[in-house]
Order: sequence, then structure tokens, then C-alpha cells
Amino acid sequence: MSEVAAFLAHAIALEAEAAERYDELADAMAVHNNEAVAELFRKLAHFSRLHHAEVKEHAKDMVLPQLKPWEYQWQTAEGPEAAPVERTHYLMTPYHCIHLALQNEKRGHQYYADISYKTNDPEVKRLAKEFADEEAEHVVMLEKWAANIKAPEPDWDMDLDPPVVSD
Amino acid sequence: MTVQTPLTHQDFKSDVKPIWCPGCGDFSVLSAVTKALAELGRPREDIAFISGIGCSSRIPAYTKVYGFHGVHGRALAIAAGVKLARPDLTVLAAGGDGDGLSIGGNHFMHACRRNVDMTYIVMDNQVYGMTKGQASPTTAPDWCNSKLTPEGTGISPVEPVRLALAAGANFIARGFAGNPNEVARLILEGINHPGFSLIHVLSPCVTYRPEQRDWKQAVHASDATPAQLIAEAMHRLASDDGFTTGVLFAGNRQAFMPPRRNLATIADLERKFAS
Repeated sequence: MSEVAAFLAHAIALEAEAAERYDELADAMAVHNNEAVAELFRKLAHFSRLHHAEVKEHAKDMVLPQLKPWEYQWQTAEGPEAAPVERTHYLMTPYHCIHLALQNEKRGHQYYADISYKTNDPEVKRLAKEFADEEAEHVVMLEKWAANIKAPEPDWDMDLDPPVVSD
Repeated sequence: MTVQTPLTHQDFKSDVKPIWCPGCGDFSVLSAVTKALAELGRPREDIAFISGIGCSSRIPAYTKVYGFHGVHGRALAIAAGVKLARPDLTVLAAGGDGDGLSIGGNHFMHACRRNVDMTYIVMDNQVYGMTKGQASPTTAPDWCNSKLTPEGTGISPVEPVRLALAAGANFIARGFAGNPNEVARLILEGINHPGFSLIHVLSPCVTYRPEQRDWKQAVHASDATPAQLIAEAMHRLASDDGFTTGVLFAGNRQAFMPPRRNLATIADLERKFAS
């Protein structure tokens, strides 16, 4: 199995995991009537799927390794662009959502930039550089998006009918 | 000839949106279960997923295998019945620390002892979440954030993996919800190991135990090969801090399966019910 095939298998999984996680978060927000954030997570899932399709196009004539979920060589526990579940909250606002996505894209960029720097395979270097540049564009786009969203009030998570009431 | 495409983990997810708090570790356990089942490669109709009561016990509804959302603390009794009646099925059971170790604590011990071939996933968040945040059997004695226990319970918590080992479980592993791909591996190993398998998953409750977000920094993978002798596992677990992940024990007890014989035919049963 070539290094390029392994690299692309990882890139496909990275985007698939990111899209699935955004879908899950969108559903979770919808269940908690946080429609604004649910809609944003759905948009982010859509963008991840577009990128997933692009990466698959690169691999269309290749035989890719069939890796089990735990065989992927990430630097993190999950794919670098999968949003950390524990960073979400049922009252989170679009501001938090975009900043969460921004961190995910930064990790994605770092992942590809690292590979581009470390690999000795010229084709992997070329692809990793291309993907890192794309992720850098996403970072810039999200930074602009984030700049246009007003930060929430400090008590954004105050719930006058909170679930945290015992007895 | 129709060529069957292998099922993916998405094929094991139902269309029901999970009713869990955003941030809950149980989302990751659901992801891990579906990934493990996809890797197992069995048809969905050959898998039964049984649960008790509690937030985490909703999980069978979110999968597309046969499910039974059972009685509080009785998931293991139902699961054992399913496995003994249909040994050809892959049987999973799931629940939380309260359901499995308090209300179902007696069943837990005896399920370990009986060693029926099934896999039990305990999503441990050290709190009763569904009833709004009371101390559970795995809660630390000094946790005092519930009005029911304003000065803490003062009681030593149950340590699920030690209890399982002492009671006779044949496979014991611990995972962390923040690493769902590793939890998937542990679940699959548990399914493939004969006998009763416990997969203890540290699954944070971000609503009632927000400090559990820090578990990400506390967990550490075991660098030892799984203990195969009870004494060796006991020795290791005696100094375990509760955050070691990986396969902690892989024993070689034979799974329990009573001799099977037909006591009555379907026709006999029909005659009996008709009379």
C-alpha cells in the first residue's frame, strides 16, 4: 500500500468524522430547541461533506487501505477536525459554534501542515500542502465569520428553569 | 447474484435523535457501539441490545439492531435470558453506574459469576443524571453537589472493574468516551472474547458533573499486556487510579451454556395453551 493511499484514507476519514460529528451536534441542539445552533452545525456538516467529496475524488482510481476506526494514526483521540463533544452546551450560541468550528479547522490545518513538513514522499507532500492551504482558507473564512458575530453576554448559560435542580 | 455490501457504522444507527444533553459522553459510546458492530460484520438481525433504565439505557433505541429497553437494573437478567434461549445471537447489554451497580448490583455480580457469553457496557458518570443529579454507587464520598448529600455520601464508591474481577467476569476493559474509536475496539474485543465481558466506559455527565470534562487529562492507556491470571489482575487493579484504559483482564473460563434439549415441541406448547 502506497503512502499516498494511506494519506488519502486518513483524509477521507478525517472529513467523514467531522461531518458526522456536526450532524450529531445538530441533532442534539434540535432536540434541545436550540434551532439557531442546530442550523449552523448542519451547515458545517454540509461543508465537511463537500470537502469529503473532493478528497474522495483525489482517490477515485486508487485502492485505499481498509482501516478499522482505531487503526487511524491521529495525533489526537479522534480525527483532528471532529468537534470535541464535551465542548458543547445546550444553550451555546452561534458565537460558540463558530469558534468551535474554527478550532477544528485549525487542528485540520495543523495536521496537514505537519505531514507536508515531515513526509519524504513528494506526492504526499504535494497533496498535504494543497489540503493544508485549503484548511487555512477555511480558517480565514471562519475568522471573518466569527468577527461578525457578537460575543454573548457573560451569563449566556443562565437558565431560569435549569435542569440542574436536585430534589 | 446479489453481492451484499458490508454494513457501515451508519447502517447501525437508527433515525431516532438521541435525547441526551449536548456534551454527554454517551454520544461517543453510541458511536463506538455502531463502529464495533460494523467491524463485527454480523447482520443486524443477529444482534440483540438490552438495557435497563437511565439516560444511558436509552441507547438501544438509537441503534438498528433488536433492542429491549428493560426494567431498572435488570438488563443483565434479560440479556442472559436472550443469550441462553438464542445462543446464536450476539448479545450486548448497556446501562449506567446506578442501573448496573446499585439497582442492578446483585444481577451484576451474578452475571459475572455465571459467565454467560455476552458483553455489558457500563457508561459510568458517577451520578444519577435522569433523576437530576444524585450520588450514585460510583460517586466519590466527598462529592457534595447534591442537596440529598450536602456533605457527601461518606461512603467508599464501588469500583466496577474490581468488583467484576472478584465476581468472575472473564473479560474486563475500561475505555473513555473521549476516545470512541478505542472504545469501539474494546467492545469488539469483548464481544469476541468468550464469556461475560465488562466494558467500563468513563462517560462524562457535563450537566451534573461538569468537572468531568477534565477526565480527558486524567485518563491514560495501560502499557501492560492484559492480565490473564486473576491474581495478576488483582495485583494491578489494587493500585489502579480508576483512569487506566485498555484491556485489564482477559481470562480463560469457559462460558456458561446449559445443555440444550427440546423439552417440548411447538405443537406440545400449542396444545398446552389451547387446553
